[in-house]
Parts: sequence; structure tokens; C-alpha cells
Amino acid sequence: MKVRKLVPTGRYVAAFHRRKAVLLAVLLTLFSLPGLAGQGSFEELGLELLEGTEIETQRSSLDTLLSSGDRRVGPFLKAYLGGDIYRWRGQYVSYYVDSHPGEQVVLLDAFERSPRALNGKPLRATVSELGIPLSPPRRLRRAIQGAVRVFGLLSEYPKERLESAGRLGDSRDPAHITFLEKALSTEADEKVKYTLTESVAIIRLHHDGTPYDARLESARLLGEMKSLRAASIFEDLLKEIDGAGGTTASDTARKVYSTALGRIESYEQKVRVLGYVFAGVSLGSILILMALGLSIIFGQMGVINMAHGEMMMVGAYATFWVHEIFATYLPESFFNWYFVASLPVAFVVAAAVGFVTERLIVRHLYGRPLETLLATWGVSLVLIQAIRLLHGDNSAINNPTWLRGGAEIFHGLVLPYNRCFIIVLCFFALLAIRVLMNRTRFGLRVRATVQNRDMADSLGVRTRRVDGMTFALGAGLAGVAGYALTLIGGITPDMGQNYIVDSFLVVVTGGVGELLGTVGAGLGLGLLNKFLEPSTGAVWGKVLILVVVVVFIQWKPEGLFPPKGRVADA
Amino acid sequence: MRDNSRRALGTFIFLCIGSVLAFSLDIESVNMLGRYLALAIVAVSLDLLWGYTGMLCLCQSFFFALGGYAIGMYLAHHGGPEGIVDATGWKLPACLYVVYPYGVGEAPGDALVPGFWKPFYSLPMAVVLGLVIPGIVAFGIGYFVFKSRVRGVFFAILTQAITFAAWLVFCLNNMKLCGTNGLTRFVNIAGFDLFDPTVRIVLYFVSMLSLVAVYWVCRGIVDSRLGRVLVAIRDNENRLRFSGYKPYHFKVFVFTISAMIAGLGGVLYAPQMGIFTPTNLEVKESILVVIWVAVGGRGTLSGPILGALGVNLAYNFLTNKWPESWPFVQGALFIAVVLVIPDGLISIPRRIVRFVRAMWGGKGLSKSSGEPPGVSDAKAGS
Repeated sequence: MKVRKLVPTGRYVAAFHRRKAVLLAVLLTLFSLPGLAGQGSFEELGLELLEGTEIETQRSSLDTLLSSGDRRVGPFLKAYLGGDIYRWRGQYVSYYVDSHPGEQVVLLDAFERSPRALNGKPLRATVSELGIPLSPPRRLRRAIQGAVRVFGLLSEYPKERLESAGRLGDSRDPAHITFLEKALSTEADEKVKYTLTESVAIIRLHHDGTPYDARLESARLLGEMKSLRAASIFEDLLKEIDGAGGTTASDTARKVYSTALGRIESYEQKVRVLGYVFAGVSLGSILILMALGLSIIFGQMGVINMAHGEMMMVGAYATFWVHEIFATYLPESFFNWYFVASLPVAFVVAAAVGFVTERLIVRHLYGRPLETLLATWGVSLVLIQAIRLLHGDNSAINNPTWLRGGAEIFHGLVLPYNRCFIIVLCFFALLAIRVLMNRTRFGLRVRATVQNRDMADSLGVRTRRVDGMTFALGAGLAGVAGYALTLIGGITPDMGQNYIVDSFLVVVTGGVGELLGTVGAGLGLGLLNKFLEPSTGAVWGKVLILVVVVVFIQWKPEGLFPPKGRVADA
Repeated sequence: MRDNSRRALGTFIFLCIGSVLAFSLDIESVNMLGRYLALAIVAVSLDLLWGYTGMLCLCQSFFFALGGYAIGMYLAHHGGPEGIVDATGWKLPACLYVVYPYGVGEAPGDALVPGFWKPFYSLPMAVVLGLVIPGIVAFGIGYFVFKSRVRGVFFAILTQAITFAAWLVFCLNNMKLCGTNGLTRFVNIAGFDLFDPTVRIVLYFVSMLSLVAVYWVCRGIVDSRLGRVLVAIRDNENRLRFSGYKPYHFKVFVFTISAMIAGLGGVLYAPQMGIFTPTNLEVKESILVVIWVAVGGRGTLSGPILGALGVNLAYNFLTNKWPESWPFVQGALFIAVVLVIPDGLISIPRRIVRFVRAMWGGKGLSKSSGEPPGVSDAKAGS
């Protein structure tokens, strides 16, 4: 959308531009001489803005306010624009909510933005007493909006400065260049600096009135900066040039523009691919956690656990229960610790469900793999319905604050912390399983049972007990997968169903009981999924993956890393 | 031969009871029974695969749905409100509304009846395609899957994944199969009103006779030399291969036949149901078929029929009375059947007879009335 189209037409145009010129002049003085005293105090001018009825007077007080260079003006205007100022008993106030028993909120002075006090105690009122917030007249709104953005450049928070810089660039109004450049000269934060430079160049590039050379210079700069925001402008400009027909000047311009666009696009491509890789690895991590348990159970007992997805679901609900307990019974400062506490809980609860299933049902069905498939499916139906009756269809959970947001490792590529956490979790789970299987007596017994059950039995390994423990371990791993999934999605009774088919495919592709195979297949399917999805859509992506798996097992029926030597015959 | 005369008698009794019910029950119940008979056909088709050849297939609902969609497209062509005509003069089926949201009258030039809908305009063609398409799909799947010697639980998992993927595809709107809404507004079949009681009773009888025919065809297959090979595949595929047979060919063959039978089930089910949606091919529908077979008794052909009718009637009864209890009952059924009566309901009379004989006559009698020696040997071996 081009801003030019929003300019009022007819007789307002002239007035508007005159007004803008005044505003600009005033703002310029503001930036050059901060702290300059204007006519009238901040409060008086603000009152005029809030109470006045004459648009012209209000405009002039807005201008004066801006020229005052007072740092309080920005927050005040922002509150006004955001509908956060109320008239209450003849005073202008805003409020914030604290944990006051009478549901009364703390009142702030609308101008000073600090709590109002009466006899040393903060002034309070209920929200309903405050009534409807004031809102600026429609004809003043745009002016205030522009002013708020410019003031954003002066904010003490880099995040706000960054936002303002971006917004001012997106407005593509050449009048803003001066502010941006002023702000650039004093800015220390690298990211804000980048955005300020980018915004200036974008405005120059977009504006028809920019001198030819300056325009090309901006284009080169944007190309060098690999500005993702400029891509659409370049596309428009190239289209414009193609439509107008060629002169020598436009040929040079075309060359410069298309070079810059090419650089931006190749960078964009790179970022996109990296994004897919990251998403694929994080999906793969969840699949690995799921498939690891399935594969261990199958390798050990030849049992396909159809209720594995439900073990995962139970793990997710265990996390949910811990979350609820922390939210209800413990002080708020402890809240984040729920996430630490629920990891062992999710593991233990899911493992317990697995252990009971093994004891009551699976134990009686050894050597009949198809029957265990049916019986465990029955278990999964019962578990789903039980949880559904208990919790309904949807439960939500708040992520711990330290896993919100993401790390921008380089410009344009943000890695969400929660997905990073899942990858790390999966890595440590793999490490733990590796150590457990190869360095402990339990692992020794498991491997002995897998290799030759009768021999292990006769050498004194209690294989039946090992079976129960292995089943519990596999189920516990699924519980950990469910715990990890609470970070990225809703918790529903049938959430396991969405992952079970994929994790079965991982087991089939990776080979049974092979740690390395499971990791390879999990990552492979995760990556394939994320790379196919954007071009084919989620559904056809899944179908294609299935075809790939079927073709793959034609080629390697024993999985990615088949066992060799004597073990292969077993 | 004695067995077959007993089965013929059973078939006769079954037909008699079916006919009496058709004329004594109200029309809604007859319609419902007709649907369950169609589902029993699917159960028999799975028994051929699972009970006799030892391949637990979770694709059965997919094949069923292919048949159902074939006849459903025929019914949609001839159903729904009149009057939406595309540029080439074909009447747009009303359920395609999700793709072409136009009112009555001439649809714009680009809203054409999709080409693949057109063969389903005639009833005989739709019925034939309803059998042939599942057959072709199964042949394709079997060709690849059996070639790589995928079997046992891996086969079950893979077919489950196939059903899941197929379900996702059928839910897509741009497949022009009416998305999750499914095929709707069935009004008449071969020019007769679908809501007419006579037509419903006729459909009921067609289902019943088809079931009997399917039963005898499958009986013929399993009693032939071919059937012996199928059982050999179930009991010891490697030994069969070493004896010079190629299990691959037999597996593909029986898989294809079974898919076509399941397709027939779909063809009979859709007109009696009056709607056909992607929910019919969810993975859990496939698993339901497995329950019917397991509850009735696999490897018997008549057991699955009993299982399909029994479980469905129980389902109907329970969902009316306690809607929330059904998943529990279903889950419990799975566990109980597998743990307690692995041979299914059909084995209960035989067990009772054996038990009573053992009480009365001691060892001698029970031995003479037991199964042929080969069977018990094979069971002990496996």
C-alpha cells in the first residue's frame, strides 16, 4: 500500500502540506535542540489536546508540544492514541492493575505517567468508575500517530526504537529521512542502527523525487545490507522500468536494481533453507523421542505398542497437571519452575502407565505381535476416552517465560527458544539412553535379552522383569516427548494420534532397535517433511513421504543401518 | 463334504431369519441391518487376509471407501436439487458446492464437472469401477509392499500409514471429492426413490445375497489348493518359499481380491447410508473391521459376519443409551477378546461341546471329535 494514496484530495491537500511543513520544522528544532522550552507548559498544552474543540488550536498545541522536546510527550501521546486516558473526577488518569483485594486499580497521572498519591497512599478506583477512555478526534489521529512514531526514536528501550525505525521506513515518507538520520548519528545499538540505515535507504529508493545517483546508491546499499524489506520495492521499480520502455539511464537503473534484488533474494533463499533445516530438526527431535521408545520396546519384546501415542499424551497431561498445581498453589515467582518439575513427573507418570499396561496385558501376549497390536490399541482407546471425560477436548498451558521468544542468530532468521530446547532435550535423552544401554547393568541385561532370551534366562537374568522395565522406559520416553510437545502445541486427548503414524514410519525406516538408525530416520523424515510442506502442502507432503518410505524399504528392507554378522540372523 | 452341507444349512437358516426380519421390523431397522450386512462383507474380506493369510491389513476401510465413493459419485450425479448446469451441459452434483459455490442456474465457464466424475454417471459403470478401482489400488500397493517382503506388524503399520494418508487426501477440498463434507444428497438409484421402503428392502436383500455370495466365493478360495497355500503363508512363509512356491504372487492375488470384496461392501453401504464422507476411511474404521473379525473369530469366514453384526448392534444400542461409554467398551472388547477368547465368539459353542464331552465321555470321545490332526499340529508348531 502506498502512503501517497492516503493523502486527502481537493482543497485539503494544500492545507495538509502546509501543516506538515510546520510540523516538520518544529520537529527539526526538537531534534537539534532537545529540551527547548516552548510556550505554555506540557500540562497546559496536553489539556488543550484532550479538551479542546477547535481542531486548529489543537493542532498548534500538538506542534508546540512536539517542539518542547519533552520526553514525557511521547508516552503521553501514545497513551492518548491507545485509548488509555480517562477523565475521572475532573482529572486525567491512566491506570495499571495490581493485586489489590478490592479489585481497584492504581491510578496514574495521564501526563506524568506516575501513580497519583493522596496522603501518601496511591489513589485507586475500580475500572468501571473510570468509564470510557478518551480518544483523539479523527482528524487529529494521523498527526498524533506520526508524532508517536517519531518520538519512538527517542525511547530509552531499543525495542521501541527499533519498531519506530521500521515503521517510519515503511511509511516511505521522505519527510522522515531527517529524523532517521538524526537518530542514526546518536544510536549505539547495532540492530537499531541497521534498521535506521535500511529505512533511510528504503525511503530514498522509493521516493520519485530522490536524485538519480542517490537512488542508485540507496539501491546498492540495500543490496549490500540484504534488506528483506526492500525486495518488494525493487520488484515494483523493475516492473515500472519494464513498463516504461528503455533509455540508457533506465538500463543502468535496471541493472543496479536487479543486482540488488538478486543479492537479497539469494540471501532470503539461504535464510529460508536454514529455517526449514531448523524446523525439520526440531520436528525430527520429537519423532526421535517417540520412535526411540517404540523401537526399544519392539526390539526387546517384538511388541508393537499402539498406545505409544497415548503414553505421550499422558506425559503431556502430567505436565499440564504440574502446571495447574504450580499456578494454583504456589506463588507466582515459582511459576517458571513448573517446567523443571514436570520433566521427571511426565517421565514417571507415562512410565507407570506403560508398566501397568505391560503387567496386565502385554505380558500375556508375548510371541503374538499382531494380538499385542490389537490389545494396545484397545488400551489407547480407553486412555483417550478417560482423559477426554476428565479434561474435555482442549487444555492450554503457558510456556515458562524463559522459553518465550527466540534468538535471532542472523538478520531475518529467528530460532524460537522452545524449539531449541526440544532439540537439546532430545540430544540429552539420546545420550542418556546410550549410557544406560552400554554402561549400566540394566542395559547389559536388556541387550542380553534382545540377543538371546533363553540364554539370558538361563544365565540368571530375570527377563520378565527386564521386559517390564524396558516397556516402562519406552513409555517414559514417550512421556518426555509429550512434555516437549506442550511447548509448541495445544494439549488434546487425541494428540498422540497425530504423531504415531510418523513415528512408526521412523521405526520402519530406521530399523528396529537401532539407536543410530532411529536418529537418522527421525531427522531425515523431519527434514523431508519440512522441505516438502511449503511446496506441496501438508497433505501431499505426507503422502510423498509415505511413498519415499515404501520405496526406501524396497531398497533397504532392514532399515538404514542394518545389523551385521551373527546378530543379523536372529 | 459334511462341513459344506452344514454350512449350506447355516446359509439357509441365515437367509430365512434375514427374510423374516425384513418383513417384521420397521423400515429404519431394516435399513440399519442392511448397512451392517454391507459391513459384514468388509469383515469377510479382512478375514481372508488376516485369518487365512496372516496379514493384518489396516487398509480395509480405504478400499471400502473407494467402493463407497464410486457409487456415491453415481448417486450424487443423480441426486440433490436440480438446476446447476455447467458450460458443457453436465449437471453439477450439489455436494460439489464446496468447490463451486454457485446458486441455481448456469454455472460460470470454469466450473465444470471434473472429468473423473463422468464415468460414474451410469450405474453399471459405477458398480464395476467400485470393484475394479480398489482392486487396482491394492494390486499397486501389494506389488511394492510384498516385493520387499514387508510382513507381520510392519505390514500393519504400513497399511495404517496408507489409510491415514488416503484419509488426508480425501479430506482436501481441491480434490473435488467434496472434502470433509463428503458426498451428500443421495435421492434416487436407477430411477427409484431411495427413501421408498420397497427400494430399501430391495437394497437389504441385495446386501444379504451379496454377503452370502461373498461368503461362498471366499469359502471356495480357502477350500481350494490355493487356500492351502494361503494358510501355509500364514503358518510358515519361509518353509513355503523353500518348497518352491512364490508367496509373493499369492499374496498380491489375495490382497487384490480382498480389496475388491471390501469395495463391494462400500458399494452396498453408501446407498443405504444416504451419505458418504471421509470419516468412513479413517484409520479407526479399519481398526473397527479388525475388531469385528477378532470378536467373531478369525479364520472361520462365518465368525466375522457374526462379529460385524454383533458388534455393530451393540454399538448401536450403547451409543443410544450411554454415548460416552462406547470407546471404553470398544477398548475393553479389544483387550478381552485378545486375552480371553482369541478364537472369537464363534468358538464358544465348540468349546462348550468339547467341555461337556470331556466331562461325560472322557478322553476317547473328545479325541475322535477333535479337529483333523494336521491343524492342531500346525498350531503347535507356530
